[in-house]
Amino acid sequence: MIKEIKMEENNNEEDHEEEEYLVNFITSSAISRINLKFLLVYLPIIWLSGMITLIYWWFFQPYWTGIIIFFLLLPVHILAMLTIFTFACVIFSKLLLILVNLLHKPKEGIFKAELGDNDFEFWCLRIEIKKLVLWLFNNWPLPWADILAFKWFGMEIDTTSHLFDAWCDAEFVKFGRGVMVGQGAVVMSSMVVGKYLIIKKVVLDNHTVVGGQSTVAPGTILGEESVVGAAGSTAFNQVLSPGWIYAGIPARKLKLNEHAIKRRDIIVKKKIDEEEKIEVKKEVNIEEDKKDLV
Amino acid sequence: MSVPTSMRVGPFAPTELPKKRYLLLYIFLIWATIIPIMLQFWGYWQLTWDYNRPIHFYIYLPLFAFLCYVELVLISLILARFLLSIVNAFHKPKEGTFLREKSDKNYCYWCIRNTIKRWPVWLAHKFPFPFLDNLCFKMFGVKTTFSNSLFEGWVDTEFIEFGENVVVGQGSHIQSAVIMGNLLIIRKTIIEDDVRIGTHSVVMPGTHIGKKVALSTWSLTTIGQELEEGWIYHGCPAKKFKKNRFFEDGLEDKIQFKAETEERLEEVYKKYYRKHQEEHVSYIEQLKPPSERED
Repeated sequence: MIKEIKMEENNNEEDHEEEEYLVNFITSSAISRINLKFLLVYLPIIWLSGMITLIYWWFFQPYWTGIIIFFLLLPVHILAMLTIFTFACVIFSKLLLILVNLLHKPKEGIFKAELGDNDFEFWCLRIEIKKLVLWLFNNWPLPWADILAFKWFGMEIDTTSHLFDAWCDAEFVKFGRGVMVGQGAVVMSSMVVGKYLIIKKVVLDNHTVVGGQSTVAPGTILGEESVVGAAGSTAFNQVLSPGWIYAGIPARKLKLNEHAIKRRDIIVKKKIDEEEKIEVKKEVNIEEDKKDLV
Repeated sequence: MSVPTSMRVGPFAPTELPKKRYLLLYIFLIWATIIPIMLQFWGYWQLTWDYNRPIHFYIYLPLFAFLCYVELVLISLILARFLLSIVNAFHKPKEGTFLREKSDKNYCYWCIRNTIKRWPVWLAHKFPFPFLDNLCFKMFGVKTTFSNSLFEGWVDTEFIEFGENVVVGQGSHIQSAVIMGNLLIIRKTIIEDDVRIGTHSVVMPGTHIGKKVALSTWSLTTIGQELEEGWIYHGCPAKKFKKNRFFEDGLEDKIQFKAETEERLEEVYKKYYRKHQEEHVSYIEQLKPPSERED
């Protein structure tokens, strides 16, 4: 039995010579080479935003307000200073990012992941600039505030989505409305494979759900109302058809997303006293002859 | 990007603080490292503070705070390193399988070592730049280079060797010690040059990963597994998926961007899963006593 399989294997290797270069596995989008010179980026950002925070502090010393009022207001001041520091960091790193992007425009494609390649080095630099701000927001008491940071860094996302507990690359990712990304999930738009860096846009359409601890590979397109189950992972460039639940590695069709279908055209009401279900078809109030266009 | 709350695994030492006396040691370490920083701040205050002209004090304060944090990490590292060398002089850390009991000396000293390492590593990991982390690893005797990216995963701090250009993916674990039932197993993990470890994958103690290996997402190696040089591995336990040819030059046009159909993907993965099953069956056959074997 085992020998037969080995024979098959040999045949397959000859047949699928070109498949050797097919990316049907997933590695990670963690920054590839740490360089000490990126630390130089942090110093001006921290210094400038620290000074802005201290201007606020200077106006609320006990020297000005009196000791009792000062201590009563101290918690509010600490929160306010944290806010000011975080938002100042956002503004300065955004300025820096604009400068870096003017020097070199971020683009999709395949690049060499080696020192000396412009695309790769600027990719690392962009990650490092964004990292400080996103780290601050992740240590921030308000969970939805990080969406603002993602938005300001140029990602297409709005406040109906939720990705606080997930890892997300902050460029070349498009979120629709009401997207939910689970705990520990990883949404990657870039990936280092061997010597090469691959950057491809990821699209998460309206009302999609990515389960906990799952991985979304670069180039994936999640159709409307599709679901990736927990601990699953999509393949490179995979297209998930709308309204389906996917599970496993790589993500395979499991079943239709019934809840989404129900939500689309039927509103279910229940009379609790008489235990009776009332179904109401959703109607669009436009002219009769244009209804089939919807 | 940032490390989210659910993936923020924090300290790179197994979280083992079982006894009160270890907790006292831990609190002592924290207390002892903060005192020099307070003295330093007092010196800065004496030097620059002026009621009439407070501007100097405020302008350099953010930079000074930044410096203080880095120094806090360094001081706690040096103190921990000093304590660790004393502890190691009493009992040399060694590999092997030990009982997870109070009476086992190896287990007790393993706990003490982790307690000592916990505070500096926690501090270094709270800093968004990975440089301090790598410094921690170097000080605690992990063989690594500063350009390795180990920040996003979870890595043990002893009995590990890294080559150059290693990337550990988001939320993946690299262990050199594991607790199984009432046993503590410590084995040396070796990871060679140009290895990429995917997201959420787990490397168990004793794994030897050869050069130019890529470990796919959600894969798991077994204790003492050898991964051959130049292959892509996938699955639980990790099995050969295909040859890693992505280290060749001039592949920009050859790497295919086409989307594969779901059926095709399933076929490819099924092929490997079936192979896994066959190998697993043959492995179980080997374990049986000779009289019970079928062939």
